Amino acid sequence: MIVEALIAFTFAAALVTFVAPNKVAGKLAFGLSLVPILGSLFMWSQFDATGNALLGGSLAFEESFAWLTLAGYELSWHTGVDGISMPLVVLTTVLTSLAIVSAWTPIDSRQSQFYGLFLFMEANLLGVFTALDFFMWFVFWEAVLIPMYLLVGVWGGPRRKYAAIKFFVYTNIASLVMFIGFMALVFGLGDSITSLGLPEIAQALRAGELGGFGALDADTLRLVAFVAMFVGFGVKVPIVPLHTWLPDAHVEAPTPASVMLAGVLLKMGTYALLRFNFTMLPETATALAIPIAAIAALSVIYGAMLALAQQDLKRIVAYSSVSSMGYVILGLIAYTVYGVGGATFQMIAHGLISGLMFMAVGVIYNTTHTRMVGDMSGMADRMPITTGIFIAGAFGYMGLPLMAGFAGEFFIFVGSFGSQALPYAPVFTSIAMFGIVIVAGYLLLAMQRTLFGSFRLETDYEVGRAPRHDTLALATLLVLVIALGVAPDTFFSMITDAVTPILETGGGL
Amino acid sequence: MVPAEWYLLLAAAVFCIGLIGILTRRNALLFLMSVELMLNAANINFVAFSYQWGNVTGQTFGLFTMALAAAEVAIGIGIILVLYRNFDDIDVTKATTMRW
Amino acid sequence: MAAFDYAPAIVLLPFLSFLVSVGVAVSGRDLLPKGGALPGIAATAGSFLLSVWMFLTVSGGQYYDETIYTWAAVEGSFELTFGLLIDPLSAMMLVIVTLIATLVHVFSLGYMNDDGQTGLPRYYAGLGLFTASMLGFVVADNLLMAFMFFELVGLCSYLLIGFWFREAGPPSAAKKAFLVTRFGDYFFLIGVVAVFATFGTSQFAGAEAFPVLAEEVLLGEASANTFGFAPQTWFTIVGLLVLGGVVGKSAQFPLHTWLPDAMEGPTPVSALIHAATMVAAGVYLVARMYGFYALTPTTLAIIAFIGGFTALFAATMGVVKREIKQVLAYSTISQYGYMMLALGSGGYIAATFHLMTHAFFKALLFLGAGSVIIAMHHNEDMWDMGNLKEKMPVTYATFLAGSLALAGIFPFSGFWSKDEVLYEALVHGLGGLGGGEAEGALLLGAWAMGLLAVFFTGFYTFRMVFLTFHGESRSDTARNPHGVGWNVKGPLAVLGVLAVVAGFVNMVPVAKLTGAEIEFLHKWLEHGPAGLTSEHYTELTHEFAHYTAGTLAGGELGTALISGGVSLALALAGVGLAHVLYNVPEPTEHTDKLGGIKTLLYNNYYQDEYQVWLATGLTLPVSRAADKFDQGVVDGVVNGVSSVSLFSGSRVKQLQTGVVSNYAMLLTLGLTVLLVVFGLLGGWF
Repeated sequence: MIVEALIAFTFAAALVTFVAPNKVAGKLAFGLSLVPILGSLFMWSQFDATGNALLGGSLAFEESFAWLTLAGYELSWHTGVDGISMPLVVLTTVLTSLAIVSAWTPIDSRQSQFYGLFLFMEANLLGVFTALDFFMWFVFWEAVLIPMYLLVGVWGGPRRKYAAIKFFVYTNIASLVMFIGFMALVFGLGDSITSLGLPEIAQALRAGELGGFGALDADTLRLVAFVAMFVGFGVKVPIVPLHTWLPDAHVEAPTPASVMLAGVLLKMGTYALLRFNFTMLPETATALAIPIAAIAALSVIYGAMLALAQQDLKRIVAYSSVSSMGYVILGLIAYTVYGVGGATFQMIAHGLISGLMFMAVGVIYNTTHTRMVGDMSGMADRMPITTGIFIAGAFGYMGLPLMAGFAGEFFIFVGSFGSQALPYAPVFTSIAMFGIVIVAGYLLLAMQRTLFGSFRLETDYEVGRAPRHDTLALATLLVLVIALGVAPDTFFSMITDAVTPILETGGGL
Repeated sequence: MVPAEWYLLLAAAVFCIGLIGILTRRNALLFLMSVELMLNAANINFVAFSYQWGNVTGQTFGLFTMALAAAEVAIGIGIILVLYRNFDDIDVTKATTMRW
Repeated sequence: MAAFDYAPAIVLLPFLSFLVSVGVAVSGRDLLPKGGALPGIAATAGSFLLSVWMFLTVSGGQYYDETIYTWAAVEGSFELTFGLLIDPLSAMMLVIVTLIATLVHVFSLGYMNDDGQTGLPRYYAGLGLFTASMLGFVVADNLLMAFMFFELVGLCSYLLIGFWFREAGPPSAAKKAFLVTRFGDYFFLIGVVAVFATFGTSQFAGAEAFPVLAEEVLLGEASANTFGFAPQTWFTIVGLLVLGGVVGKSAQFPLHTWLPDAMEGPTPVSALIHAATMVAAGVYLVARMYGFYALTPTTLAIIAFIGGFTALFAATMGVVKREIKQVLAYSTISQYGYMMLALGSGGYIAATFHLMTHAFFKALLFLGAGSVIIAMHHNEDMWDMGNLKEKMPVTYATFLAGSLALAGIFPFSGFWSKDEVLYEALVHGLGGLGGGEAEGALLLGAWAMGLLAVFFTGFYTFRMVFLTFHGESRSDTARNPHGVGWNVKGPLAVLGVLAVVAGFVNMVPVAKLTGAEIEFLHKWLEHGPAGLTSEHYTELTHEFAHYTAGTLAGGELGTALISGGVSLALALAGVGLAHVLYNVPEPTEHTDKLGGIKTLLYNNYYQDEYQVWLATGLTLPVSRAADKFDQGVVDGVVNGVSSVSLFSGSRVKQLQTGVVSNYAMLLTLGLTVLLVVFGLLGGWF
């Protein structure tokens, strides 16, 4: 019941915050959001799942209630946690609280609504990562868009309407494509399934019970469904060339929303890719290995090159997210323990690091009111501690060893280099790895121009130290990033345990 | 006994009169009246079929429709009043500002 | 084994001092006297004592190779671990690194604290983290751990080069240093990943170590995934990939350009990082996995050739520089070239020997330069100095000792080690040539370049000495230099003594001449865990790379004496030329006579220009073009779809006139059409 309690509490907390007075909403939301953190940490301490949730592993905190029957399919409330979702649940709760703290300074209107939407989004995110029934999963999946749309559209920057609508329409159409693809699979399975439970569907698909649907035979159906779902989820990740909503959304979104967008919402895409495409249709994925790996390498290099050309700090981090998520795709297609496990680990690592970077940029923006690289220099002189954390976060992004990013990237590289599932694996891996040089290039360049040199600021604002609560939130994230980099096994062992069953048809170890 | 066809012909005639009224008139009051005519055409049908099959359900619906029509007139008059207040006229073709 | 239980403390002590300094820096208050120098000194001194203990224990024939921490483990696949490997090589390196780190900390008291610098906790935090990372790298027992600490060392280098961040130069130099080494590390990382994919392990030592596995694969006793290549070819590729990191960190051609710029950092940092230790990391790595490199002759030849070329190439640039630290920077690049030359020509011991002596005399020279810079109020231009020997006798005496060592003058330490490097290159080159191996010619070419560089080394070193300390004072600051304290003179004295005597541990020509067993370093490196001894490496180079010793006239002894004599003569010629040209009261810029060549040398053969062009002239415009493409085409398609929708919407919406009658008409027509259609389909008519 703890998953349900967690989700229900977060919804209730959202409601309470929504009606609370503006003045206390921020502190109240933070206080309430600590409960899900404790809950998720408790879940982690009691975590006893083995194997993969979709492939017959034993789950932790599993609950299932029959709900209603629709067109011959039983819909049920079915939740549970395995080694893949557990870290993501923890990431969601922790990042939400810290993002709420980072909102205290910049959000100065309609606070109760802002924080209410924030908690509402958290509840839905928890639902996405724990749901095991397609129907309820899809409801949560779609419901996440609404608060994010409002957060960008109401509290965003000057072009917020454009960005919010682009974000909403783009991702929603993608969901539609994905939905069609998935439903085609469901109908193709015919009588071999009686519910929309994801485990049942996954196992039926892996058992080869897919028949034809309409004019499509089973193989074509698999291919079409795979591509539809890949495109649908790929928009969320985002993969090149479906990424252009991301920089706009990030630039216009208020900092806390950016933190959530990069930190957790992008992971929904890779999580779904792992759960649906790569778990349910491994043969199709391996058959498409070369184009997928090409997209992954393209995302890494192209995203990094775009980041190099940007002048807006937020845009730089946004494009570098595209680049980092390319590594995840590469890890997934490798079909090795280190590859897929590393991809999952990279989701967590990138969630924390990109959250850290967006927050740090936000803290600088709060005092300077500009994010343009050319508008300021020598910030290290005025904001030494923020600068220090910024530098540490940037090096985390560059994959400095003993920080979480290196662990994720190294697992992916070592997993994909020797992959049997991916032809020319060393070539694709080596190309993608060049991202670590470009990322160093653009982050070091941006740091040199904004943080170092003599102090100069083009806007008329007095620059002082960052508020203590911002510094503490940044420091917390930094500590987590380092802790996870020093001891990746805290999550990595449970991840690999859950990932191994996926690889039975895969690429060796 | 009068065969049901006659009632149906009557109803069709009333309906067409109402329809032509809606298509040609611009005065909102006449509009409302034409709608009433069409509603009543349907009522005639209900009652006629009820009479034909010896089933009172149709008559019940007839009564319902009359109550509904009364309510509709109340709202309709209200709308027309607001229309007049805003446009100084009850010409339905003038009030086009709500289109987009 | 009690001693080795304390081995992790060697790494952890400086890390602790880093944490303390970070705490002080974050608090923003003056919590510690001397800005946090004392914890750093205590920690590095503690590490030094522990290292000496390790050294003594290792000399007792005990070695340590333990996995102490599992970083990530996967059932059914390989584990990624941290472990300590303490053998003669790493024990020796530990002592060198901790000794120099301690001395540099002490020196920093004079250079930074007495100078009233701000941000000292940050400085000492950087030094502490650097020392910890470097020591972690030295004791690493596998390639992954080595890579991780290798990168951390790069981070510290970045932080310390950019220490004076308020100026324009240091942040730029720091960025360049990190980027250029990162470029090398990219290949290194591929190499690490390839080693894992090939062997499933990256251990340096033990029966399951990857060099051992590679050897077995080549002998056909085992198999490994070589990705469709012949094992020899694949191992060469892997070796060259790892070599990328080495070339970056050890500042070898063509990735040497960062090191001269790195002189923007504080001078003690230059001494510690950019001369004695971090730059040594690359060379040390090759020595650490020499069992792997020894298997592939092509890689060895390339290493030797890069080394010989870099030695000469950098030495020529050192000839024309104006700043004292620039001369030292190029001499550093050049000296690491010698070490690479030695490694490539099978001279494992020679390289290690030169690594050790160079660490001492180059740290000495940098600290001496630091002392001069303090005296000159941070003016580094040698043409503003002159006659400092009267004013700073201790600095002069020690600097002279270091210079004689660097120039390779008998009997200073540099002479012995450089001589052995050249000897190894010569005999193996001759042997290879005699055996008809193509690599032999490469080795001889590398040897020739290294030999020629000896002359340049002698010349630029003593040009520096004469310009700085001799002649007439050429500026007011040089006439009234700032005094230096004990904390500067102490480290100089220690290193000065070492620069003189360190060579005596391995006087090979003397040993050959007299038959006395005084080649202590040979003895030292001959023992060790199985597969990590110099004897084993000699066997490997002989067996797999077909390295044999050839001789000139007079057999082995004669060759050694001829080689030593020639290099000494060349060094003396260089010194003599410098003496003639620059040891005069009013020296002039004789290098101006070189004309265009001087411009070429002064601009470092335009190496920086093309690398900067690659970054800003090529990559940046390409990225801007990509951005334009992204905004125009990719996002243009997205916005295009939305425009098309909006446009068609604006047309279709004309249907909504707002006139009720029209809607009623539409409804009626629609109903009629429906009725007709149903009628037609239903066959009512």
